[in-house]
Amino acid sequence: MSPEIKGCQQLRAEVIDRDLCSLCGACVGMCPYLVAYKGRVVALDDCNISQGRCYAFCPRTPTDLDLVSDSTFGAPYDAGPIGTVKDVIMTRAAGDGVRSRGQYGGTVSALASFALEQGLIDSAVLTSSGPDILPEGTLVRDAAQVLGCARSNYVASPTLAAFNQRARGDDVRKIGVVATPCQALALAKMRASPLENRNNIDKLGLVIGLFCTWALRYQEFARFLSDRVPLGGISKFDIPPPPADVFQVFSDSREISIPLDDVRPFIRPACNICLDMTAEFSDVSVGAAEGVSGWNTLIVRSDRGRELVEAARARGVIEVDALPEENLNHLKEASLGKRKRGLSNIVKMSGSEDDLLYLNLSSDTRRTLLPE
Amino acid sequence: MKDKDPLNIIITGVGGQGNVLLSQLAGKALVRNGYHATIGETYGASQRGGAVMSHLRVSREKQYGPLIAQGQADIVLGLEPLEAMRVLAQYGNPDVIVVSNSRPIFPPAVSSGDAEYPTPEQIGGALKQLSRKAWLVDATDIALEMGAPILANIVMMGALVGTGLLPLGPELFETELAESLKRDRLDINITAFRRGLALVGDAA
Amino acid sequence: MANVATFEPGTAQLLMGNEGIARGALEAGIGFAAAYPGTPSSEIIGTLAEVAKEAGIYVEWSVNEKVALEAATAASFAGVRAIVAMKQNGLNVALDFLMGLGMTGTNAGLVLVTCDDPGALSSTEEEDSRPVAKWACLPLLEPATFQEEKDMTKWAFELSEALKTVCLLRGVTRTSHARGDVRIGESLPPNREAKFEAAVPLQYTSLPAPLKHGLAHQKMDRAREIFEDSPFNWYEGPEEPELLIVTCGSGWFYSLEAVEALGVEKTVGILKLGATWPLPEKLVRRRLARVEKVLVVEEIDPFLEGNLKELVGEDPAAVGAVKFYGKRSGHIPLSGEINPDIVTNALSRILGKEYEPVDADYAQKALGLTGLFTHPRMVGFCAGCPHRATFWSVKNALKMDGRGGFVTGDIGCYTMALGPTGFWQLKTAQAMGSAAGMACGFGNLGGFGFKQPVIAACGDSTFFHATIPALISGIYNRANYTLLVLDNSATAMTGFQPHPGTGVTAMGEPAPAIDIAAVCRALGLRVEVADPFDLKDTTKKLLDLIQDEGGVRVLVSRRECALVRARREKPAYRMRVDAARCIGESCGCARICTRVFQCPGLIWDAADGVAKIDEVICAGCGVCADVCPGGAIIREANQP
Repeated sequence: MSPEIKGCQQLRAEVIDRDLCSLCGACVGMCPYLVAYKGRVVALDDCNISQGRCYAFCPRTPTDLDLVSDSTFGAPYDAGPIGTVKDVIMTRAAGDGVRSRGQYGGTVSALASFALEQGLIDSAVLTSSGPDILPEGTLVRDAAQVLGCARSNYVASPTLAAFNQRARGDDVRKIGVVATPCQALALAKMRASPLENRNNIDKLGLVIGLFCTWALRYQEFARFLSDRVPLGGISKFDIPPPPADVFQVFSDSREISIPLDDVRPFIRPACNICLDMTAEFSDVSVGAAEGVSGWNTLIVRSDRGRELVEAARARGVIEVDALPEENLNHLKEASLGKRKRGLSNIVKMSGSEDDLLYLNLSSDTRRTLLPE
Repeated sequence: MKDKDPLNIIITGVGGQGNVLLSQLAGKALVRNGYHATIGETYGASQRGGAVMSHLRVSREKQYGPLIAQGQADIVLGLEPLEAMRVLAQYGNPDVIVVSNSRPIFPPAVSSGDAEYPTPEQIGGALKQLSRKAWLVDATDIALEMGAPILANIVMMGALVGTGLLPLGPELFETELAESLKRDRLDINITAFRRGLALVGDAA
Repeated sequence: MANVATFEPGTAQLLMGNEGIARGALEAGIGFAAAYPGTPSSEIIGTLAEVAKEAGIYVEWSVNEKVALEAATAASFAGVRAIVAMKQNGLNVALDFLMGLGMTGTNAGLVLVTCDDPGALSSTEEEDSRPVAKWACLPLLEPATFQEEKDMTKWAFELSEALKTVCLLRGVTRTSHARGDVRIGESLPPNREAKFEAAVPLQYTSLPAPLKHGLAHQKMDRAREIFEDSPFNWYEGPEEPELLIVTCGSGWFYSLEAVEALGVEKTVGILKLGATWPLPEKLVRRRLARVEKVLVVEEIDPFLEGNLKELVGEDPAAVGAVKFYGKRSGHIPLSGEINPDIVTNALSRILGKEYEPVDADYAQKALGLTGLFTHPRMVGFCAGCPHRATFWSVKNALKMDGRGGFVTGDIGCYTMALGPTGFWQLKTAQAMGSAAGMACGFGNLGGFGFKQPVIAACGDSTFFHATIPALISGIYNRANYTLLVLDNSATAMTGFQPHPGTGVTAMGEPAPAIDIAAVCRALGLRVEVADPFDLKDTTKKLLDLIQDEGGVRVLVSRRECALVRARREKPAYRMRVDAARCIGESCGCARICTRVFQCPGLIWDAADGVAKIDEVICAGCGVCADVCPGGAIIREANQP
């Protein structure tokens, strides 16, 4: 049964004012009431509608994962450690050009550019980093523009606002989105929604998910960082694999390493109640390949995803290799780790094992979600 | 009622509709012809879309105060129907005559959804129940037809004079219009006035 | 306004009370008139300004009431009769000088007209200005009829010269703004041999203070004598009344009609005082001695009432036992304006005489039918007003900023932003210039954990009136706030009078137009100028400024008042709603144009479920087109 859809006032009371907003941007760009500004969703006025898209699509309002999965994959929710899986491989962009611009293997840029070139999509919503490291969603149409957005972003970005705004236009017909787990979930909720107005979600042609452990609050983190390095010159962030435990900042003047523990206070609370590390509601999900420099881990989830990877490989746009067993086990462990922390935080917040806040899970699913 | 002394007239509407101009025109015409006229009205903040009233006291004998007492209106001229209704409720009596414009000006409470504007039937009904005789006239429609919504108040002035309840005939009011208005605006205002005259019957 | 300079003496003219005062001033041969606009006083100097050239007099809109009084006093010192007018708040502004003036004295006649606003129909507070007469040792007159407005004003100049002090004339809304027929007298030319001669040392000062204070009291003794025979005090009614009404000002007509309504002409007498300070003691005692019950009818404070009681207390045997009814007894309300019904009710209660204003059936029916619509019609910004657009941007900027920022308010049309028309953005509003004044305080609370951005909003006329000193104080004391100047090129609320920024004087002469942005820049401030109709740009500039920490910075939101513009030009746009694109009550809009933005030019057709333009009210400014999320509001430029 589809969870109850409420309105903006309830979204504010249940999510935004409780500081559970992940800033995915799904509630923004649809109306004059909600806007995203410097890392916050702001209500400019009171909307009095009893059932709104903002509430329906938010990944932190009550969610029936089976319904969502059914609409994405045509099957009930796979509560396995990394969600619905067809294949898990290693990939990287072929040739130095794209790879050197990317965070690790440049796979996301390569696939997005390829999908555009092939006409599988005519546009893509990516995240670009603006001045003073403030990120936002942006609509791109070609490989050069895709590359402009290459680079991992650790600050939460309301990227879906760009989808909401641009999907309206006659100038886009098939859109791809590079999405974090909460953004991918929001898109999936749009697809699954019983509402008549689903933000032109039928134009969504491809979702490339990104592995994500957490995202940072903008204003507080920017202030913290600006005390250490001028924001304007920053070109890249990175978190090297354990045991490093640092947050690296690369700017044109220098490179600094900040202890991760100093950065953790800026994690958005919404991330602490997230159970999805690998962006389970996408066509393919991409992250780092641990210990394999210059390569990505890629999870194929849907037929569309498989076809895309196949075609890209056949065209020599990406190189594909098997993922070492050890890596797959680590990946599953890490994903389960996030789930465990998330569930524990949810129960701490709700005060009851039976109240999972925004997750409507059957006890079977619940058990599979977190195997003992 | 024609011989009532003082004759108490209330012109009511929404700030900006021109009730002040009306009361002045009527007042001046009366003074010019030997009557005492007193007009009480509010300017300032209320003009910004608030309810406004002009109390007009006409007498042969002496000068009266600027405010009419409760239940003492003889004529209510409404530039806006909701305001006409409100004024009637406070200043009306079983013998009062009402002439009101039909066109609503929606208060912010209605636009915001906090209140519902009464239906034309409700307003018409209320005006009739609270008066000896009531006319609802489409002064704004006439004014729009003539090309200038602001003429609605001159149409209403014509309607007021058309009731025959004022001690002066239409010609004297037309003289006042000629004295008060610029040459190039006179003709259209006289036309508006005359169209108003034709809208109501003799209520004396 | 009436051309008070060209009336034929002997004719009857329909005059507003303020016009009568202006005519009275001309009949007294004034040469100099000054004021700052303030409802309900503005038409006094406004009328004189319109006929200044014809009448050969000098009239100015001063930057504030203190300067106006100072300027007029100078004229008096130089032998030219002068009049100055203000509302009750203006008197407060002029008070420091007035107190000193009371101890100084004047030369040629000087009359200060103070107009109170009972019920605060057009003010932010209700205040009775009369006590200043007692406080400053000045004679006080209160006109009750339209003829008196003119005649009393004329006489006030004679009184002023007889006493050599400024004479106060107090009006209220129902005397100043009401109209009545007045018989016109002869006007006099002003003194054209102005000369200032301070023959005696300290002659034109209040020093030595105790001496001058003593002299001021002596002037009051003289005034008392003069008032005993004044034709402006009169009695109407039986020689031995059961009850005496003592009244002044607007109370006269109401009392007369209350007595008529109850049919008690044979038992109730009315003593109407035109001179209410100092009291004509012998006259008053004579009347009080004949009664045991007195009802005092006056506007706002029990000033007359208190003074009568004081008089009785000084020599109780002279009048015998008297019971006073009025504001202190609760028969006349202590706040709000009075009206005929209030007086009738009071009288009916005291005399035990029943009174039914309208028959019970009718009253019942009326009560039932008013239930159809009980909301008061709230005042708000006119269609096309730039303030609505400015405050829309302010609301959005403060929300986005998210630190709990707020706006301190001031006096003008924009004061309405205290309410829904300005999205409740103003949080304070007390006196001219107090927005910037309060910002000096809020802007220096950083050491107490205060982190909220502060915006001080003032108008262009307000800026010149009182904001400048507060602004300088804030700059000097390093207050942290943003000054928002709402520049609509007019003193709008009081009737679109010109001011130092508009480039024209009260008399229509060209004047240097002082540029507010330039003044702020000259003070070393960061200044941005925005067009409020450009919502995006205004919001962006506001955000930029409130986030630019430290010191005072300025946004001038500049666009002409819609009503002033409409007199000159036809609407900029023809507006219409494309019903097919109107999202209306659905998700994505929720009727933001009519429900939230609330311009009166937009109406919601519930039957059709679409917004519509009210063609009668719409000013064609085009801003709503940018508020509409569906692109349903279309603006088409009108040919100029």
